[in-house]
Amino acid sequence: MRPLIEPILLAVALTNFAVLGTSRMTACVRMLAMQGALLGVLSIAVERPLSVHSIALGAGTVAVKALGLPWFLRWAMREAAVRREVEPVIGYMASLLLGALVVGVSFAVASRLPGMVPGQGGSAPGGLLVPIALATLLSGLLVLITRSKAITQVVGYLMLENGIYLFGLTLVGRISFLVEIGVLLDVFVAVFIMGIVVFHINREFDSISAENLVELREA
Amino acid sequence: MTLLWIGLGSLVLAAAVQLALRGGGRADRLFAILVLAGAALGIATAIGVLRDGTTLTATIPSMLPGGNWALGLDPLSAAFLIAILGVGALSATYGIGYMRYDEEIAPWPSHAFFALEVAALSLVVCARSVMPFMGAWELMAIGSLLLILTEYRHAEARRAGFIYIVATHVGTLALFALFATLARNTGDWTFGALAQGTREPSAARTAVLALALLGFGVKAGFVPLHFWLPPAHAAAPSHVSALMSGVVIKIGIYGLLRVVWLVGAPPPWWGWTVFAIGTFSAIFGVLWALAQHDVKRLLAYHSVENIGIILMGLGLGALASAYGHPALAAIGYGAAVLHTMNHALFKSLLFFCAGAVYREARTRDLELLGGLARRMPVIWLAFAIGAAAIVGLPPFNGFVSEWLVYRGLLQAGQSADTLRLAVLGTPALALVGGLALACFAKVAGVVFLGTSRSPRADQAREPSALLRLPAIVIASVCVAIGVAPPFVIGVMLRAGGFVESVAVDPGSAADVSRSAWQVAAFALVLLVAIGVAAFLMHRLRVRVSRRVSDTWGCGYAAATPRMQYTASSFAAPLLDVFGAASGVRTHRGPTVFHSEPFDLALDRAIAPAWASVRRVAMRLRRLQQGRLRTYLVYAVATLTVLLGYLVVRGGA
Amino acid sequence: MPERATPVLALILTLLLAPLVPGVAARTRAVLTGRRGSPIWQLYADLWKLFRRGIVYARVTTIPFRLVPVVALAAIVAASLLVPLDGRTSVFAFPGDVVAFVYTLALARFVLVLGALDTGSSFEGMGASREVTFAALVEFALFLCFAALSVVTHQLSLSGMAGVTLADRWMTAAPALSLVAAGLFILLLAECSRSPVDDPTTHLELTMIHEVMILDHSGPDLGVILYASAVRLSVLAALLGRIAWPVAKLAPALRLAALVAALVLVGVLVGIVEASMARLKLAKVPLYIAGGAALSAFGLVLLLR
Repeated sequence: MRPLIEPILLAVALTNFAVLGTSRMTACVRMLAMQGALLGVLSIAVERPLSVHSIALGAGTVAVKALGLPWFLRWAMREAAVRREVEPVIGYMASLLLGALVVGVSFAVASRLPGMVPGQGGSAPGGLLVPIALATLLSGLLVLITRSKAITQVVGYLMLENGIYLFGLTLVGRISFLVEIGVLLDVFVAVFIMGIVVFHINREFDSISAENLVELREA
Repeated sequence: MTLLWIGLGSLVLAAAVQLALRGGGRADRLFAILVLAGAALGIATAIGVLRDGTTLTATIPSMLPGGNWALGLDPLSAAFLIAILGVGALSATYGIGYMRYDEEIAPWPSHAFFALEVAALSLVVCARSVMPFMGAWELMAIGSLLLILTEYRHAEARRAGFIYIVATHVGTLALFALFATLARNTGDWTFGALAQGTREPSAARTAVLALALLGFGVKAGFVPLHFWLPPAHAAAPSHVSALMSGVVIKIGIYGLLRVVWLVGAPPPWWGWTVFAIGTFSAIFGVLWALAQHDVKRLLAYHSVENIGIILMGLGLGALASAYGHPALAAIGYGAAVLHTMNHALFKSLLFFCAGAVYREARTRDLELLGGLARRMPVIWLAFAIGAAAIVGLPPFNGFVSEWLVYRGLLQAGQSADTLRLAVLGTPALALVGGLALACFAKVAGVVFLGTSRSPRADQAREPSALLRLPAIVIASVCVAIGVAPPFVIGVMLRAGGFVESVAVDPGSAADVSRSAWQVAAFALVLLVAIGVAAFLMHRLRVRVSRRVSDTWGCGYAAATPRMQYTASSFAAPLLDVFGAASGVRTHRGPTVFHSEPFDLALDRAIAPAWASVRRVAMRLRRLQQGRLRTYLVYAVATLTVLLGYLVVRGGA
Repeated sequence: MPERATPVLALILTLLLAPLVPGVAARTRAVLTGRRGSPIWQLYADLWKLFRRGIVYARVTTIPFRLVPVVALAAIVAASLLVPLDGRTSVFAFPGDVVAFVYTLALARFVLVLGALDTGSSFEGMGASREVTFAALVEFALFLCFAALSVVTHQLSLSGMAGVTLADRWMTAAPALSLVAAGLFILLLAECSRSPVDDPTTHLELTMIHEVMILDHSGPDLGVILYASAVRLSVLAALLGRIAWPVAKLAPALRLAALVAALVLVGVLVGIVEASMARLKLAKVPLYIAGGAALSAFGLVLLLR
């Protein structure tokens, strides 16, 4: 399974760019689903002795990240009945350029991060896992900042969580079951809440643009 | 230890019963039985530990950081456990009767929280490693908050709860720092292992002792960290106040004793600081109590005073330890533990009686009560015993613990080194006793004697047995300890010796034990003298005529109840002696005079400090734009800065 | 005379002679102010008369009122068991019994104050308020004296502090001890409600402290209360005498004679003070007690050096 790791990681990086560059919301969600599926396969590939535990974890990841959450997002889009166009703040070319910059920074920083020993676990092949994880994380943040519609911001948040999940994979063998479940639960709850928020934003403002949220402070 | 776990499990089960059945008569009966049974089992285990001087331990494996959870019972924990379970169980039973007076709220959540709080308190003293200690500590804090907020519909309760939670978390912060300092070099967080690390004088040891004073001091409630006590006690129901005064603040004392046990003989500066704080708190606690109109606030300030007395004993022990007199140190610590137990007893007794008066007369204001002795004779008798005990009069239990503190101080006065300055504590303690006598003469006289000052007091009746029985039980224990102290003193000395980490040497133990028997003999002599004098008076009285008439009013025929001396006037001369330190605001008009007590620490120090912090915070508010995007940019900017820092500093 | 008997004899002697002391004080005062005055056994006659008078109870009163004479008498007798009246030992002693002494007197005061408040009268409430105020301050000062005695004799018990050991230490610590004795005399006047704190001959309720608290007592009750007050004055006078002039080394008969002499002498002193000073303004009384405290504190500081 080892040789699969590198291509999968590169595919994940490509999905990041795809989310940054597309103008259709349904495409965003579809790319996110693909990213989730890739992560599920990766989590099985990274485990050395293939066990029921790892297959179950991989299947669970696919179920939640590739199937469940995207379905939920599509339901939210239908409920809100919004225009299916991403409305970015800085333009698609600029987003892609920033995405590239982010990847470069990630590779530069990855070797300096303390505690990340290259050659450990799944980060062995040229040490791609840590930089791609950091890149996914930062791309997610980028999406959060530069998109105005609430659903795309949820997508950005989910990319951020995917990046964290990738980081978790570097600790394979040392991480405990409890933390993995915790991460999944965390994501699940967050999206659940966001769905509700989207619903209510739409009801209040008849749009799901987060630009309308300007009163988020005490009196 | 099994009995203890069953006992604690019984407490949790009692809470579950209340939650499941949502209150009601059957749930109440089951609750009371489970709580009392659980407490009895725990007390039996604790008495066993104290009698044998052994330590019980148990370990629970845990995956969280900090290693396995070590729990156990040593003589120090056992002494406190007896107080926790005894007072807790009796208060829970009292609480059932007390909450029945209230038609507004359903009492069953409050009863459930009460049982859980008692269990959490027991866990705090049973913890022998950092994680269970802090976990139980936080449970205790949250539990107390929930109990204070029982009557959450009143703004007074909400404000009291807010002040309490802020204060207790400041203390918890200090405790985090304390344990971090203690555990910085070891991976094993059990108390036994931590004890090895700080026996030598060092900056860490100083920090630990200072943090202990702050962290446990907020919980104990000595001046000036006492400001959360009076609002919390006044706003909470009486059985909660009894638990808080009797037990929760004592956990602060337990913490200080535990730190002393961990750190070994403390340096003299710490001993003098504790002693000075104790003296100061005792004097000012009772002075401010004298100024109060509200019975429960008055009792709360008295708790501050008694914590001061306990700290005087603790300080004496620490000083004796520092100057190298281990036998005297054991006496000092033992006196502190004994007074803790005694105060738990008579303070809860007084709160029980105050609660009964409040429920029956529907007011806590001293100026509106009076003449309740005829209407509630059992409560009056219990209150009188509690008042005599808290003032320290023989032959009750307060006298025994105060005698032990005095004895320790006088013995310190005979030593050749600086320790002998501690004898200056005796006049201070006498002043405290005199002020306490004034205060409780005021309360007992104004509330129960004379004639009633308002229609509200007229409607009071003797309350139900659920309210009377716990009071009677505690009053009997007060008398029993007062008349037969040797049983308790030996036990307390063992706890005190444990803190000092000395086996109490048989010579001095026998010495104190013998004098304890002599105190018992004196109490007996006093009782016999009272009996003989009563007989003599009876013989003298029957020989002459007796009749009943009106009180002498200097010829003024129509004396009204409002012409009786008021509580504020009774206290006024003594408060005038202390001037501005009494914390009383007076308002004088052409036909009106009004005096009102305020808390010097809260209103003169903490509220202004809080106001200036708020001013600074308001200016920082401009960072709060209100736009979602801005907050996200803040987050990314912080992340970028941190990553940049990592890049510049280089990886590991 | 056997050793154990002397303390008991001293106690009996004190109990019998107690009513004399106020009489001596009153007679001295009268003579010094140019009158003949009542005989020194006047209090005996008053007690005899009171024990045969009827009692009137106020309607409002309950048990505390009736307990006042009982506890007053029992407490002072129990407390005097702890004092070395014969100059050497007391009938009963244990470490820290000085605490029991003061606190037993406090017990009597507590019941007295409750009895006063029981009547629901403004006058008695006023007297009770003043009494507890001054008592708190006096107890503070009293313990300064006792602390000084404990430090100088290295004893924990009253018998030690005012008995044999004191006699040994007197020569070396005379200045400090005379300060303590002077302070104790000032406090005695305050504790026993004599001039200049409280005038025992006043008839105005608004100016009384102690007498107004017992305004409603009558008959045997009043008699016993007056007797208990006299015993308290005598016991404190005996203690003062032993501190000012320790006689522990003398023979038993001489010690008992010294006891009687102390009682009479203190009575005369009290009378002299009453004749020469007017009663103080009530607001000045705390200052007066502070004066006594200052003397004792100075003595204590001298001893702690």
